[in-house]
Amino acid sequence: MYVYLYDNFLKNKKFDSTLRAIETRLTDFSIAGKIVRLQNFTNSKAVIEDEIKKGASTIVIVGNDATFGQVLSSAATCGITFGFLPVGGDNTIAEVLGIPIGEEACNVLSRRRKVKLDVGWFNNRYFVSQLHIPPSDIAVEYDEKFKVSSQSKKMELVICNLQPYIWKGDKEDVVVHPQDGKLEAFLRPVVKRGIFGRQKYEDPSIFPFEEMIVFSRTPFVVEADGKESKETKIKIHLAKKKIEMVVGKERKF
Amino acid sequence: MFQKPSPSISLNNNEDKLHQAQDEVETVVGPSVSVEGDFSSEGNIVVKGTVSGSVKTSKRLTVEKGAKIFANVRAGEAVISGEVRGDVKISDKLELTSTARVAGDIDCKVLAVEPGALIYGKVLMKGIEPEKKEKLGGFGRLKVKGEEENVAVLQ
Repeated sequence: MYVYLYDNFLKNKKFDSTLRAIETRLTDFSIAGKIVRLQNFTNSKAVIEDEIKKGASTIVIVGNDATFGQVLSSAATCGITFGFLPVGGDNTIAEVLGIPIGEEACNVLSRRRKVKLDVGWFNNRYFVSQLHIPPSDIAVEYDEKFKVSSQSKKMELVICNLQPYIWKGDKEDVVVHPQDGKLEAFLRPVVKRGIFGRQKYEDPSIFPFEEMIVFSRTPFVVEADGKESKETKIKIHLAKKKIEMVVGKERKF
Repeated sequence: MFQKPSPSISLNNNEDKLHQAQDEVETVVGPSVSVEGDFSSEGNIVVKGTVSGSVKTSKRLTVEKGAKIFANVRAGEAVISGEVRGDVKISDKLELTSTARVAGDIDCKVLAVEPGALIYGKVLMKGIEPEKKEKLGGFGRLKVKGEEENVAVLQ
């Protein structure tokens, strides 16, 4: 049995026609199922566990990158197959997974090509898409082998699992698609402050890794899959083959 | 049944290859970043900043102009335009550009040196063996013939 988790933003009327087309296509494929609408404070893990007890075999997330991160960061341990139907903007993870946006995603879902995905793990929490530390006075140790620091002291750190990393290059935006099997850390030291106090960054340093420790004397902000916390030391590592996911043939890994 | 070869098909193939190349994530050490410890990677490494400890990769190492490495280096192939203070062991080709500064022994299969590059150390290359050591008898002392000639000392 399929259970569909709809994000709250899909209530907007502009998504009505897309959702109707998706629901028709799902009925054609005989994979239509129960629809659960997520609210801002819904505990996704509790909802999924409840649906598993009722006999759900596949949980399908309907929404964008934020929905994907929000659901899977808490429900990664549920031990069920997940699917994803990307709708609307802010859908970069779908491209990595090889899932087209809109009703075409139903074709991928119906084919049930399953792959086990790696997830990031830090301080007893999973993250699926990206972890971000805004410019802070941090130092980083990789795989207990080498330590990285910056002359300018303040660095921004982005760790990508499934969400691609995009930064503004000299001439055009540069996009790096993460690979599976490792996490990619992008470190951007703050070089100077530009006009109107905007910070200017150096081109990022890139380190693929399996385990890293970020530490600082002063607390720094950590944003992972939309959740924010303050830490002085975090240990990040890769939890391999944690989520079973239906993916497309055109996936990037 | 079979598609005729056309320019658009060949262009598409090239685009795919380009896309794959862009997607290949390599390790990059930025200009103001310093790395301390045993720095190793399974992929290509680009050094623009400072590294001290050791550097190891089975693939390509690029040391850009202005970069400094205070460590022994091991790589599949390498292009050095910056400064390396330590032994450099490359299993295939080593390229030293005009701005390269290497203070240490070099061991490689193929060496390309641009005019202006500076080397202080021994250069050992595979494919040429030193002459066999002859035993002079007596107290096990060895006389080595032609060993000096096979080792280039560049300053």
